[in-house]
Amino acid sequence: MSFISIQDVCFSYEEIEEGKHVTNAVDGVSLEVEQGEFVAIIGHNGCGKSTLAKHLNALLLPDSGRVLIDGDDTAVEDNTYAIREKVGLVLQNPDNQLVASIVEEDVAFGPENLGVEPSEIRRRVDAALRAVDMYDYRGHAPYRLSGGQKQRVAIAGILAIQPQCIVLDEPTAMLDPSGRQEVISTLLKLNRTQNITVVLITHFMDEAVLADRVVVMDSGKILTQGTPGDVFSQVELLKKHRLDVPQSAELIHKLRGCGLQIDKIPLTQEDCVALLEEAMR
Amino acid sequence: MSCVLELKNIGFTYGKGTPFEKRAVDNVSLHIEQGEFIGVIGHTGSGKSTLMQMLNGLIRPTDGQVLLDGRDIWAEPKKIRQVRFKVGMVFQYPEYQLFEETVYKDIAFGAQNCGLQGDALDRAIRDAADFTGLPPALLDKSPFDLSGGEKRRAAIAGIIAMNPEVLVLDEPTAGLDPMGREVLLSQIVRYHKERHNTVLLVTHSMEDIARVADRIMVMNKGRLALFEPTREVFRKGDTLRGYGLQVPQITRIMQDLRRRGLDVPEGVLTVDEAFAALLPLLQKEGKLW
Ligand SMILES: Nc1ncnc2c1ncn2[C@@H]1O[C@H](COP(=O)(O)OP(=O)(O)OP(=O)(O)O)[C@@H](O)[C@H]1O
Ligand SMILES: Nc1ncnc2c1ncn2[C@@H]1O[C@H](COP(=O)(O)OP(=O)(O)OP(=O)(O)O)[C@@H](O)[C@H]1O
Ligand SMILES: [Mg+2]
Ligand SMILES: [Mg+2]
Repeated sequence: MSFISIQDVCFSYEEIEEGKHVTNAVDGVSLEVEQGEFVAIIGHNGCGKSTLAKHLNALLLPDSGRVLIDGDDTAVEDNTYAIREKVGLVLQNPDNQLVASIVEEDVAFGPENLGVEPSEIRRRVDAALRAVDMYDYRGHAPYRLSGGQKQRVAIAGILAIQPQCIVLDEPTAMLDPSGRQEVISTLLKLNRTQNITVVLITHFMDEAVLADRVVVMDSGKILTQGTPGDVFSQVELLKKHRLDVPQSAELIHKLRGCGLQIDKIPLTQEDCVALLEEAMR
Repeated sequence: MSCVLELKNIGFTYGKGTPFEKRAVDNVSLHIEQGEFIGVIGHTGSGKSTLMQMLNGLIRPTDGQVLLDGRDIWAEPKKIRQVRFKVGMVFQYPEYQLFEETVYKDIAFGAQNCGLQGDALDRAIRDAADFTGLPPALLDKSPFDLSGGEKRRAAIAGIIAMNPEVLVLDEPTAGLDPMGREVLLSQIVRYHKERHNTVLLVTHSMEDIARVADRIMVMNKGRLALFEPTREVFRKGDTLRGYGLQVPQITRIMQDLRRRGLDVPEGVLTVDEAFAALLPLLQKEGKLW
């Protein structure tokens, strides 16, 4: 049994009435995610990524179909608490997530709600704030922070819950290049060393290439999925669906159009340099 | 060329005299010429948004002066509202300032306050929606029922409809899908070309700013660390990394190739430039058709 099992889920924000056609924000999605997997979800604005993400910790419940977390159905109310302990969701807008008037209280909020020992809370809060490089701001008021700083505090708040799975809805949208890199390496580290399942929603293709699997959504449905190598070699398909590829892939794709013979589209700077060096020697 | 904006030693301290006192912007002086396209980059918390908010009088500098067309914008504090029409500001997370019943009314709000009405107002609203790639069908929806990216477009359209002399955009493409970024970016470039207005674009995307800006301001810990032509700025990879920034991936790829002794040009900023540079080299090697 997969850790996350999404089975033919449909969800609409509209009222369902007799004889009225409703548009589904999530439209028949089935997806299995194993414990310890790192999955990236990409897709155009409004394709249903956030809506799907909110199904993973029972913030939204399917109109039809089911979502099972570690075997538990999210639609069963008695499961909600256990599910939220297992799956931490970092919302798209950090302002919706920050609740307390001091940064460290905010980060402590999650573990406090779960009844964690005070000394353990202290330890987790400090570790989480250090992981996102916001320890020096622990006494500040969240509303006084810059956009990127708020986003990092919101991530720390989820890290402190120590869930088995972290779902992040565009966590790096407001970060500078090194902040982005720090968040992504923190996620990779949690995934590799603690086997934490990561579901990362992003519009940055250079982040998606680091995942084990990339899921491409389009208009509420899953368009395609596979390893980053498989998905990002479909340059034309991605562009047709409002997506993109890393600059390295873009460059090689263009050169391929002029006859350059290559087997594999490079997804990283290093691969691209190696490929071009080889071609020009 | 004439100078549209001049900053003289401006600074800003949040919560002056309180335990939370924070020097967010420190001693920034610069000139911006009418019609320039300026990029603004810097680590999170470096003071970009604070600096931008001083340009249209939204916050008052704790030191120094902001001159718009040669006049101190705070000379007559009662007239500061007019500055906000001249310097249109698209905030970071602008979607949280949507509040009207419909998207249409939301876009209308600023333009109405500038005095537009009737057909001219309707045209400005529809042009602005079109400009940001917002489908007309969404105009009658409530702004609260839009996706993140759609809300962003609606908020930007509201400022564009005012046709400001200086357009300041604080991370307008954050959260947009790749094509949305691309389209909005090219729309901003078109707006800049067609109206000859000055544009300041704050962004964390080195790839985007490398393609569009004439000059780049680099903020670091509240100070203006660099203000130079785009190519000059991205020549300074090590300096930028020290400020938590980066050069575009394509620039790094080409630098690596140079370092390995291949004869490719320096300072490549875009995929198109890299493509143009590599094409003849690969042809020479007989690797292309
Ligand atoms: N609260 C809501 N009420 C009504 N419709 C909504 C609501 N939230 C989202 N929608 C609609 O549902 C669809 C899916 O939205 P969702 O937020 O899941 O997209 P997304 O893929 O996360 O987009 P983005 O990349 O812009 O964040 C969109 O068409 C959107 O307009
Ligand atoms: N209302 C406020 N009260 C106190 N301090 C603030 C306030 N707003 C911002 N600051 C602080 O001022 C500094 C500069 O913030 P600013 O929002 O200008 O940064 P920024 O460069 O725009 O960052 P980002 O890229 O994250 O948007 C930060 O250290 C921030 O914590
Ligand atoms: Mg979303
Ligand atoms: Mg900012």
